[in-house]
Amino acid sequence: MQGGSSGIGYGLKYQARCISDVKADTDHTSFITGTLSLREENEVHLIRLSSGGTELICEGLFSHPNEIWDLASCPFDQRIFSTVFSTGESYGAAIWQIPELYGQLNSPQLERIASLDAHVGKINCVLWWPSGRHDKLISIDDENLFLWALDCSKKAAQVQSKQSSGMLHYLSGGAWDPHDINAVATTCESSVQFWDLRTMKKTNAIEHAHIHNANYDMKKNHILVTAEDESGIHIWDTRKPKSPIQELPGHTHWTWAVTCNPEYDGLILSAGTDSTVNLWMAPTSVEDEAITESIAESPAQQADPLLNSYSDYEDSVYGLAWSSREPWIFASLSYDGRVVVESIKPFLSRK
Amino acid sequence: METLSSANLVTARVAVDSVPDFINGGPVKVPCFNQPWKRVPQLESEEVHLIELRRRRKKMKEQKMGAEDNVPLDDKARRMRDLLSSFYAPDPSTNNAPSNPGTLDAINTSSFDADQYMNLLMQKSNLDELLQRHVEMAAEIKNIDTDLQMLVYENYSKFISATDAIKRMKSKIVGMEANMEELLDKIMSVQSKSDGVNTSLFEKRENIEKLHRTRNLLRKVQFIYDLPTRLGKCIESEAYVDAVKFYTGALPIFKAYGDSSFQDCKQASEEAISIIVKNLQRKLFSDSESIQARAEAAVLLKQLDFPVDSLQVKLLEKLEQSLGDLQLKTDYIENASMESNDHKLGKVPDSVHITAHEGSIHGFVEAISAFRVIFPDSEGHLIKLAQDLVVKHFETVEQCVKGRISCANLLVVLRTIWTDVLLVDEVLSEAVLPGFSLEAAQNALKQYVASTFNYLLHDISDALLRVNVSSKEAAEENPLQVALEASKKALLQGSMDVLLDFRQLLDDDLGLLVQLRDFVSDWVQEGFQDFFRALYDCFFLLSGRKSSSSQDQGLTAGAHGEKVLAGLVLVLSQLSVFIEQTAIPRITEEIAASFPGGGARGYENGPAFVPGVMCRIFRSAGERLLHHYINMRTQKVSTLLRKRFTTPNWVKHKEPREVHMFVDLFLQELKETASEVKQILPQGLERKHRRTDSNGSTASSRSNQLRDDKTNRSNTHRARSQLLETHLAKLFKQKVEIFTKVEHTQESVVTTTVKLCLKSLQEFVRLQTFNRSGFQQIQLDIQFLRTPLKETVEDEAAVDFLLDEVIVAASERCLDPIPLEPPILDRLIQAKLAKWNEKNPITP
Repeated sequence: MQGGSSGIGYGLKYQARCISDVKADTDHTSFITGTLSLREENEVHLIRLSSGGTELICEGLFSHPNEIWDLASCPFDQRIFSTVFSTGESYGAAIWQIPELYGQLNSPQLERIASLDAHVGKINCVLWWPSGRHDKLISIDDENLFLWALDCSKKAAQVQSKQSSGMLHYLSGGAWDPHDINAVATTCESSVQFWDLRTMKKTNAIEHAHIHNANYDMKKNHILVTAEDESGIHIWDTRKPKSPIQELPGHTHWTWAVTCNPEYDGLILSAGTDSTVNLWMAPTSVEDEAITESIAESPAQQADPLLNSYSDYEDSVYGLAWSSREPWIFASLSYDGRVVVESIKPFLSRK
Repeated sequence: METLSSANLVTARVAVDSVPDFINGGPVKVPCFNQPWKRVPQLESEEVHLIELRRRRKKMKEQKMGAEDNVPLDDKARRMRDLLSSFYAPDPSTNNAPSNPGTLDAINTSSFDADQYMNLLMQKSNLDELLQRHVEMAAEIKNIDTDLQMLVYENYSKFISATDAIKRMKSKIVGMEANMEELLDKIMSVQSKSDGVNTSLFEKRENIEKLHRTRNLLRKVQFIYDLPTRLGKCIESEAYVDAVKFYTGALPIFKAYGDSSFQDCKQASEEAISIIVKNLQRKLFSDSESIQARAEAAVLLKQLDFPVDSLQVKLLEKLEQSLGDLQLKTDYIENASMESNDHKLGKVPDSVHITAHEGSIHGFVEAISAFRVIFPDSEGHLIKLAQDLVVKHFETVEQCVKGRISCANLLVVLRTIWTDVLLVDEVLSEAVLPGFSLEAAQNALKQYVASTFNYLLHDISDALLRVNVSSKEAAEENPLQVALEASKKALLQGSMDVLLDFRQLLDDDLGLLVQLRDFVSDWVQEGFQDFFRALYDCFFLLSGRKSSSSQDQGLTAGAHGEKVLAGLVLVLSQLSVFIEQTAIPRITEEIAASFPGGGARGYENGPAFVPGVMCRIFRSAGERLLHHYINMRTQKVSTLLRKRFTTPNWVKHKEPREVHMFVDLFLQELKETASEVKQILPQGLERKHRRTDSNGSTASSRSNQLRDDKTNRSNTHRARSQLLETHLAKLFKQKVEIFTKVEHTQESVVTTTVKLCLKSLQEFVRLQTFNRSGFQQIQLDIQFLRTPLKETVEDEAAVDFLLDEVIVAASERCLDPIPLEPPILDRLIQAKLAKWNEKNPITP
C-alpha cells in the first residue's frame, strides 16, 4: 500500500500477462505490452513514461491478431518485438515490426517480419539475447528448443538448430545468459536445464521442482534466480547446482516471475499470484549468508531481505520488467490489464 | 703581671669605649642597653685598687707574725694539714687555684702582690673597714705562725721515730742468711730424688702403652675374624641394623687388607651380607611387613650401597599395578551400581563393592605413604602416579557419561573419586590432587551436561520419529496426537528430569561439586540454550526443510527426508508452539528457582540462557513449520491439479457427464489434512473472517457477475463490457482477503489450505483454453465442491469467492462460455452425491 501511492497506472482494455522493457529505446523509458483476450481483438501497447516521470503515455496502439502469451522487445531495435500467441487451439510465434508512426495513432497494422512457424505444440516463449545485437533467436515450446537465425532486412527467420528436451521434460520457459552468448537455461517441471547452443547439448541441470521462471543476473556471472510455486525464490550459482546459495521466502501463493535489476547488485523483483510485487535485497556476501541462513542464529544480525512489498494490485501479477534506461524503475502488469510503473528510489538509499 | 696587663687592657677598653661619649656629648641619646656595659670598667678599676690594698696589708701582717695566738683548734688542725700537704706536694705552684689576682681574695695565691693589695684595700675601704681588716689580719697572722711552729715540731718528732725503726731493723736482719742456704740445699735434694723415680718408671710405662695398642689391634682383628659368625647370628636374630653397622665398620679394613690377610674373612662376611641384602629386599617388597620395617630395610640397603633406585622403580611398578587393580575395581563399581539400579536390587551390592574399593584405596594410600617414607625423594613419581589415578578415574567417568549414566550413579562415582582423592591428598599433598581432579571433574561434568542434553534431544526426536512407524502400522487411532503428546511429555518431563538431576549435582555437598557449582549452573543454562538451538535444527532437519549449509547432514537424513510426513511437520509445528508457550517458561522458572546466578561466566557474554530469544526462535519456527505443512499439503493438491489441467485437451473436451474424479481426490486430501489437524491443533474460536488479521491482501472480485452469467447467456457484446463491469464492481465491493495470517487452530489451517488450493486451481484454469464443454465440466466440478468445502471451512465467504473466481477464470478462458443448465447441473451433482455416499456410507 505504501508503494502503491507512488505508482503510475495505465489501463489496458483486456487482461494481459506480459510486458517488456523496450531496451533499444535510449531516449525514453518505454515498455511494450500485449493483451490476452480469447474472444476480443487483442492489442499491443507501446507505453512511454513522460519526461517528468509522472505519467504513462500511450505511444502506439496496434492490433494483434491473437491473444498474446509472451512478448519480448528486441534489444537492439526498438521497433522490433516478438510475440507468442494463441488462437485458443493452436500456438504461433512471430517477429513484428512497428510501422513508422506518422502522427496517426489510429491502430496501424503491425508488420510481420518473420513467423517462427516450426513449432507444433504449445509455444512458451521467444528469447532475445539480452546483451546486445545478435542475429539469433530462441524459441521454446513444450518439448523443443529452437535456435533461429533472423535476418531483419530479408524479413526471414530460419531454424538453425533444434533440440528436443527429452522425454518427460515439458519445458515451461527459459533464460538466455547475458554473459555467454551460447548458454541458455530452460525451465521444466522438475529441473532447470542448461544448454550449449553450439552443440545443442545439455551441459548441466539444477534438479528442483516447479520452477516457473528463471532470470540471469545481469551483473554477476553464473548467478541464476528462479521462482517456484511453493518454495519461493532461489538464487543459484550455476557452477554449484546442488544447492542454492540463497533462498528468499517468495510469495504467499505462487511466485510467478522474478527478475534481477540490470544495474544494482542483488536487487531482485518478484511477482506473485498473491497480487503483490516484492522487492528483495539479496545480501552481497552470499557465501557467509548461506551459512547463517541455515539457523536463525541472530535475528537482529540477519536483515530482512524483503525491502518492500507492492500490494496495490487487484489480481495476480504476471508481467514484470525493469527499465534498462532508468534501472530504478520497473513496470508490472497484473492480470486485470493494469500496468503500474514504480520507482524503487526510496529503497536504494538503504543499500 | 697578668692582672696588670688585664687591668691595662680593661682601662684601654674603657678609653676606647668612652670616646664616643665624649665626642657626641650630652645631646646624643645613648641606647639604654649600652649603659650597664659602661659601668663595668669603673667597677674593675675599683677592684684593682682593692687588691693592691690587701697586699699591703698582708705585708704588714707578715711583719707582725706570731703576734696573735687565739685561733679555734679544729681550724688550726685543718690548716696544719693543708700546709703539710702543700709542703710535700710535688708542685706547690699548682696547688693554689689561681683565682682572680685583682681581688682581695688573691691573698692566698702565689702571685700575690702585696703593694697592689694594699692599694686596692686602701682605695676601697673606709677607715672602719680598714681597722677591722687589720684586726682580722693580725689574727690570721698569729694563726699562721702557730701553724708553722707546729709543723716544724711534728716533722722533727717523725724523723726521730724513723731513726729508731732503722736501728731496730739493723739488729734483726743479721742471722737470716744461714737459714736461707739450708733451705736451698733441701730443695735440691728433693729434685734429684724425683728425677730418679721418673727415669726408673719410664720404661715400664712405655711398655704398658705398647701392650695396650696391641691389645686394641688384636681386638679389631678378632672382631673382623668374628664378623661372619656375628653376621650369621644377626641374620638369625634378624638384627639387620647391627649387622649392617658391623659390616660397614669393617668395610674400611676389608678395603685396605681384604685382598691379603682377611680374604677368607671378607668373603665369608660378604656372603653373609648378600644374604642380608636379599632378606632386606624381601622385607622391602613384602606387604605384610610394617612400613617402618620396610623403611628401615630401605635405609639399610642404601647404607650397603645397594642400588636403591632400581628397587624404587620396581616398587613403583608394583604401585602402578595396584593402581590398575584399583581402576578395574572402579569400573566394576560402576557396572555393579548400574546393574543394581537397573535391576532395582537396592544398594546392597553397591555398598559391598564400595567397601571393596575403599579397601583397595586404603591399601594404595598406605603404599604411597610407605613409599614416601622409604624413598623420600620419590615425590615426582608418586605425584605422577596419583594424577594417573585421577585421570583414569575420570576416564571411567567419561565412559560412564557416554553410556548415559544416571545422575545418582554419577554422584556415587564422583563421591568415590573425591574420597580417593582426599585420601591420597592426605599423604601426598604435593600432588595438588584436589585442584587437578577439580579440573578433570569440570570437564567431566561439562561433558555430562552436554551428553544429557544430547540424550534428551535424541529422546525427543525418537518420540517424534515414532510417528513414521506407527502411522505405517496404522494401528493406533490418532498417531499424530500420540506422537505429539509423547514428544511433549518427553520434552517437558525430560527437561524437568534433567533439571532435577542437575539440581542433585548442585545440592550435593561433595567438596568437588561445591566448587563447581557456579560452573554447573552456567553449563546447565548454556546447555538449555544449545539444546533448544539443536532442537530447532533438528525440527527443520526432520521436516525435510534442510538448508543449504547443512547439506552433509541432510545427505544422511536425506533419504528419510524425502518421505517426510506432512503430519510430522504439523506435530513439529505444534511442538514448537508448545515449547514457546509452555516449556520455555517452565524451564526458565525452574532454572531461576534452582540455579541462582552462576557468575563464573563473564557478564559481557550476557546470561547463558536467554528465554526471550528462544521463544522468538520457536515462535517463528512454529509459524514456519505450519506454513511448511500447509505448503506440503497444497503441493500435493497442486500436483493433482496440474495433472488434471495439463493432461486433457480442453479445447476438444467432451460434454460433462459426471463430476470429475479429481474432486474426489481433492476432497480426500482435505479430509486427510483435516484429520491430521484435528488430532493436533486446538479448535479455534468460532468466528468469521476478520479484516484486521490479514497481511497481504488480494482483492479482486468479479464474482457477482457470475451469478448474472448463470441466467444470462453470454454473447460477444457482453464479454466486452464484462471487464468494465468488473472494474466497476471492484470499486464498490469490499475486498475479500484471501491470504490471511495462519493461526495454530484447526480451522485456520484447513481454511488456508483450501484457499491456497483454490487459488492454485484458479491459476491453472487461467493457463488453459476451454471449449464450451470444458468450461461446463469446470463449472460442474466447482459447483460440486461448494457444499463439502463450506462444511470444512471457517471462512465461507472467501471460499465462495474463490470458487466463483475459478468459474470466472474458466469462462474467461472459454471460447464459448455457455454454462450448464441448472437442472442438468443439479442432476449431475445429485448423481455424484449418491455415488459418493455409496462409497463412503459413514460420511454425511
